[in-house]
Amino acid sequence: MTLSSNDTGATAVGTTAAGTTDGPATNDAATDVLLDVRGLTTEFHTAEGVVRAVNDVSFSVRPGQILGIVGESGSGKSVTARSILRMVRPPGRTTAGEVRYRGTDLLTLGDKEMRDLRGREIAMVFQDPQSALNPVMTVGDQIAEALIVHGADKKKARERARELLGQVGIPDVDRRLDDYPHQFSGGMRQRVVIAVALASKPSLLLADEPTTALDVTIQAQILRLLAELRDQLGIAVVMITHDMGVVAEMCDEVVVMYGGRVMERGPVDVIFGNPQLPYTADLLAAMPRLDDVAQGRSLPAIPGSPPDPANLPPGCPFQPRCRMAEDVCSQQVPELLPRVESGHLAACHVTQRGTPIPPLVTAAAADRVHGGEARPLLQITNLRVDVSNESRGLFRRPEPVYAVDDVSLTVRSGETLGLVGESGCGKSTLARTIVGINQPASGTIQVGDHVVGDKSGGDAVRRTVQYVFQDPYASLNPRRTIRQSLEEALAVRGVPPRERDAEARALLERVGLAERHLDRYPHAFSGGQRQRVGIARALAADPKLLVLDEPVSALDVSIQAQIINLLESLRDELDLGYLFIAHDLSVVRHLSDRVVVMYLGSFVEVGDAEAVYSNPQHPYTAALLASSPIPDTAEKNRERIVLGGDLPSPKNPPSGCRFRTRCPIGPLHHPERTICIEQAPALEQTETGQLAACHFAGELSRAGALP
Amino acid sequence: MEDTAHQVPETGRSRRPRGGGAWSRYASALRTPKGMAAAILLVVLIGGALLAPVIFPGGYDQQARGALQGPSGAHPLGTDEFGRDILVRTVYGLRTDLSLILTAVPVSLVIGTLLGLAGYVSKPLGAVFQRVLDIILGFPGLILGIMIVLVIGTGWLALFLAIAVAGLPGFGRMARGGLLSEEQREYVLAARVLGVKRSTIMVRHILPNVVDPLLVQASVFMVIAIFIEAGLSIVGLGINPPNPSLGAMLNVGARYVQTLPSYVIGPGVMLLLLALAFTLLSDALNQAATRR
Repeated sequence: MTLSSNDTGATAVGTTAAGTTDGPATNDAATDVLLDVRGLTTEFHTAEGVVRAVNDVSFSVRPGQILGIVGESGSGKSVTARSILRMVRPPGRTTAGEVRYRGTDLLTLGDKEMRDLRGREIAMVFQDPQSALNPVMTVGDQIAEALIVHGADKKKARERARELLGQVGIPDVDRRLDDYPHQFSGGMRQRVVIAVALASKPSLLLADEPTTALDVTIQAQILRLLAELRDQLGIAVVMITHDMGVVAEMCDEVVVMYGGRVMERGPVDVIFGNPQLPYTADLLAAMPRLDDVAQGRSLPAIPGSPPDPANLPPGCPFQPRCRMAEDVCSQQVPELLPRVESGHLAACHVTQRGTPIPPLVTAAAADRVHGGEARPLLQITNLRVDVSNESRGLFRRPEPVYAVDDVSLTVRSGETLGLVGESGCGKSTLARTIVGINQPASGTIQVGDHVVGDKSGGDAVRRTVQYVFQDPYASLNPRRTIRQSLEEALAVRGVPPRERDAEARALLERVGLAERHLDRYPHAFSGGQRQRVGIARALAADPKLLVLDEPVSALDVSIQAQIINLLESLRDELDLGYLFIAHDLSVVRHLSDRVVVMYLGSFVEVGDAEAVYSNPQHPYTAALLASSPIPDTAEKNRERIVLGGDLPSPKNPPSGCRFRTRCPIGPLHHPERTICIEQAPALEQTETGQLAACHFAGELSRAGALP
Repeated sequence: MEDTAHQVPETGRSRRPRGGGAWSRYASALRTPKGMAAAILLVVLIGGALLAPVIFPGGYDQQARGALQGPSGAHPLGTDEFGRDILVRTVYGLRTDLSLILTAVPVSLVIGTLLGLAGYVSKPLGAVFQRVLDIILGFPGLILGIMIVLVIGTGWLALFLAIAVAGLPGFGRMARGGLLSEEQREYVLAARVLGVKRSTIMVRHILPNVVDPLLVQASVFMVIAIFIEAGLSIVGLGINPPNPSLGAMLNVGARYVQTLPSYVIGPGVMLLLLALAFTLLSDALNQAATRR
């Protein structure tokens, strides 16, 4: 397989991982082990006592292998990676264990030898490419620096930098070598970070959430790049992630971490096919899926939230949330013991005895009450939003920048409209315009009988529409208790002071929190609980419509299902209408009745969820569907469309069809299709019933459709 | 569904005494070693200044027999050119300095903050005030003081005005910066979406979050204020003799630095202690304010 330079666009359709999944070597194959971690323990000495972030962690990596370390926040996965490279910052300290790299224990190495080894043998790729690169150095210099540190001369280093940038798929290398990081897009920056890591030809790459900060289509590009590097250079990769989908697609072996411990370990097929840990099994079941067809049932959710590493429960760390927990689980920490299949280890008292894990039973969702006729709650007509005022010129009027360009939609009561698009497509601008944070440039937003922007309509709009923010921590004032936040909202609604207390309690109960939470500050809550508070505050205004701006994307995987279920039951009990915004199609799947796919300010596909998911008509929808990692190893070899390039700037949108610069069926690949350059396609009815804005609608649907 | 949240084990995070009201946070600043040192130093200095008439009932212009005497039991720092006790005058000088700083800086803080937050009421007004502050910023404190002295003559009031005006740009800019960033905070947006009144949002959500850096700035500016006083007095534009101020004493003392070093050392050390106290205080406040 050759590295296709990605700027040419798209559709290198193929499979990522090339058959390294054949039976894992037996455990005693120590001859061929690159990295062997044994009993690694890292502690943080804080004022509140010793926090054991990594507790007795063992695993090994063979050359050319991709090992996934999965876990939620606080599971210790990142600290593990830092411990391997001895980059744990004080007050953290690795107190026990061995990290053998090609037989040498890194923990006993001198500082100089360790420095020498870092980067040259083991390199690291960080989550946020923005902060991993130095903004005042050109990318060429940064890559060269990595080489010069290890003793290369300047000229050679620059030559190698050029070669590396080409290798990671940066187009037009000669020119871009002297560009600064800010001149690159997020995905390109991550490629540069990978190039820096590869500079000294390391044998092992530690990648800490390398794609979490990226959009799905860009994530697909980076994952493909990593897989190709492994295939071509034989680099072993330790991939730290929270995303089971990424693991299923990329990894050969998996380490599941929870509460600082390795709870399950084994070949990826075994872990996904026959998990022996209730946590792994439930996590897989609880993930929002593209092929979710469990209509009328709520999502299977794991109760509770991941434990605080400073305050782990006794015994098995998962036991308070485990549906199979027994007395022994809270008394004794389970040992990681081998299971039936070779190479598979799990730490669970219950399944150790051979007890199978029953499938998660899901509650039947509440009947959806439709208050008679479904009334249109929100009607948007030909809305355009200009966001140019930041770039105001001194002497001339700023060029308008339409983050939202001529869109129309309707949300009815009791209905969920899913709005999906990548970052920068204008979905948040649209949402914020609806609730009045941004002002429309033209077009109308009608809420009930009132038009937003009218002086008279303001209050009525607020009564009807409320907003739930993505990051519940940022949207709650850290200095005010939950009670204060809720009562503020109730006061605006006009609830008399005497009744506010009772109302606040009722609201908390409604979102699954207890009265005792009322007088706490936001920092005392977990992410999921905070989002419940955010929802409670929105409900305090007694709205008919909730605009949900990525309400679950800041949450741990095991919490997402809880919040989605909560939203579902609230919608059905209160007959609410939702505008549910997400960057990922799988998240909105469960709730949505209809779906809108947005690209660069306009809608490219609108239709019933069923139709859009099973038969995407617009190539962008098809690509989005294909790019979402699926937590199922059976899907590992499915064909996928990997979109090349990046989202263009809305300041300067392409002529004609806005998607044409990345379109796998557009003029990039079919030069004769000049219509795409000349004429913007309108949203039109397609054969399968939904609306799509594409001159060649339906052409790509099969490649992206799910079985 | 409803079972989910109840089962969550109480997280360790809730044990941390955070957030609990602004006052307790500032109080916690004083419990750190730095804050403690600052507090003790300030109590001693302010106490000494307040009690000066009690400790030295003779007042600052009581003349002894000899002028420019070296340190002795009766006059630990010696006497000045008129035979006045330098230690006594230093303590009275401190009194003058503190009376300036502790009035002018708070006044500057309040006015500067109001100018900075004006943009919340009206955007053009806020922009105009910022330009005014820019103009003030264009003059170094000393030049500004000289101009004020030219207009209203030397004395306490001139120093007061010089310090108060010199502080405005710092407070104004900081308040505006805080306002602009707080206005974009999601909890402020959330309150707006709920329809909370603008005045309520200001008082409840924006102001408390802007105050922290302003207080730190205030204690930093106290140090600068000390040097504005000293600077103006050294060039002879400060407090009118025979009233003592630390800067005025340094001004005169510099002439005798070779014959009577303690003339400069006394007020110099006092200035240093004052600056140290406020620097430590600002450090402690800063740590408390940024600790979240």
